[in-house]
Amino acid sequence: MISTQLVLLKREVWEHRAIYVTPLVIALIISMMAITGQVAVSAFDQVVDIAILGATNLGEAERASAITVLMISISMLFVLAMWVLTIFYTLDSLYAERKDKSILFWRSVPVTDAETVVSKLVTAMFVIPVVTFVVLVATQLAVLTISSIWVSIRGANAGYLIWQAAPLLSNWAAMLIFLLAIPLWLAPFIGWFLLVSAYTKRSPLLMAFLPIIFLPMLERSLVGTRLLVDAIFVRSGKMPLFRGIDTMGLWSDDKEALHELGRSGITLLSLVDPVGFLASPGLWLGLVVCGLFVTAAIYVRRYRDES
Amino acid sequence: MSSLVSARHVSKSYGRLRAVDDVSFEIEKGRITGLIGPNGAGKTTLLKAVLGLTDCEGSLSVLGLDPFRQRKELMQNICFIADVAVLPRWIRVSQLIDFIESIHPRFSRSKTEELLSKTKVRRDARVRELSKGMVTQLHLSIITAIDARLLVLDEPTLGLDIIFRKEFYSNILNDYFDQERTILITTHQVEEIENLLTDVMFINNGRLVLNASMDQLPGRFVELMASGENAEHARRLNPIFERDMFGKKIMTFEGVAREQLKSFGEVRTPAIADLFVAKVKGATT
Repeated sequence: MISTQLVLLKREVWEHRAIYVTPLVIALIISMMAITGQVAVSAFDQVVDIAILGATNLGEAERASAITVLMISISMLFVLAMWVLTIFYTLDSLYAERKDKSILFWRSVPVTDAETVVSKLVTAMFVIPVVTFVVLVATQLAVLTISSIWVSIRGANAGYLIWQAAPLLSNWAAMLIFLLAIPLWLAPFIGWFLLVSAYTKRSPLLMAFLPIIFLPMLERSLVGTRLLVDAIFVRSGKMPLFRGIDTMGLWSDDKEALHELGRSGITLLSLVDPVGFLASPGLWLGLVVCGLFVTAAIYVRRYRDES
Repeated sequence: MSSLVSARHVSKSYGRLRAVDDVSFEIEKGRITGLIGPNGAGKTTLLKAVLGLTDCEGSLSVLGLDPFRQRKELMQNICFIADVAVLPRWIRVSQLIDFIESIHPRFSRSKTEELLSKTKVRRDARVRELSKGMVTQLHLSIITAIDARLLVLDEPTLGLDIIFRKEFYSNILNDYFDQERTILITTHQVEEIENLLTDVMFINNGRLVLNASMDQLPGRFVELMASGENAEHARRLNPIFERDMFGKKIMTFEGVAREQLKSFGEVRTPAIADLFVAKVKGATT
């Protein structure tokens, strides 16, 4: 069972090279930006030197916060890309095999439909976040290294300014938990996309998003309630992983709040609340909904006659 | 239990269309059975039922298993080529071999490698880069290396040129077939497999119109070429089908003694294709 899953997961990565190509492209872009950015500001010698001097004189908490904010801003692009990748992957995973008729080949090997669909679920929930995490860590290391070299050339102490400034390992632990928690929290969407992918005859993207957009509107205008609006839109914004903090808000307009957190000397990891997350009924309700969608997807793959 | 496939009153409907209508047959071990029928006759539907790809009414047992409910177990002992386009186009040849090796308990990598080395298929090529003929060679090399008890071929040579087609069937006979293995095959190009088959089944409008071993055919069916008065006399023996050729009448008889017909003209055993036309068209006229 587990060995079959490993083979199937390997096959998913073979087919969907975007799983590792996407984060690698982002890694490349960010690293290039780090290099060009630092070359660009080199023209303003004095200002830069003053800035480095200023940084050297910052308190411990401020330095930690500066590096942590840098790490978070790098991770934002990865999280965004991961979510786009997951949408396209799940929508394609059970649709492509029907489009190119290879489903007949995949069903000619001794693998059940359930094992196949589960391998696609595991890819979306686990493989994509882990691959993204590995590339993210490598990118952060690259950017910190580039900065160190640059700071050292200007005569500052990179070890003090950068490497000892922030708790790197604990930040990474927090980011890994965050990356793994996103698909768990948004599991109903993943299940829904898999079902659409297994079911639709054409344009899976449209078929997946039309109901998401129109059903809540329909509910509001016909019934007057907003259950679906809450279930779909409010849910995607409010993940109970961070202790009472609106994560979406943090990332969009509330940069000041991050700095505030930084100054108070709280680490990123201490903000993460995996127990509270796992104990939240919303998570488990979502997983049940996901399970229903995935079961339906297995059923469709098994019972649909392709002729 | 000597029959490998046992179908009793198998039916399958799509809406109001009965694609397979009350079909019963047995396929014994070590036979090569041709399932022959026009487009839309229900061949593919019947094969799908045998392969567990679709549910059906009636009772169907393949290798003692219920194909639809025990598909995974079944697929360890069955191989099939449904169409040449069926291999995923993005996969590399080496990945495909790795995948099958790790998923199929009865796969021999060395045998596939040996068979592939006789072809021009490169290991690092993707399936989409191969010609249609090469894809079929690849698929067959893999299938042949699986120690399966039943091989199901659905129009396996569709779209291939004549050289590949000839090679395909000789490879199956030389590399795959033995007394322990059984083949069920459908094709339009009946002539090509005629000499291969041990049994034939004709299917038309979802029903079996003939199910016989090749050895039985000469005893059951006779084709007579006659003209003029002889043809008139012969017609009284109720041929199942009659056609014209070079001004002569060609009549197909079922269950009429060869000796009796010899006096009217030239007799011979009909070719499968002609017999098929006689059975299908004769039934409708």
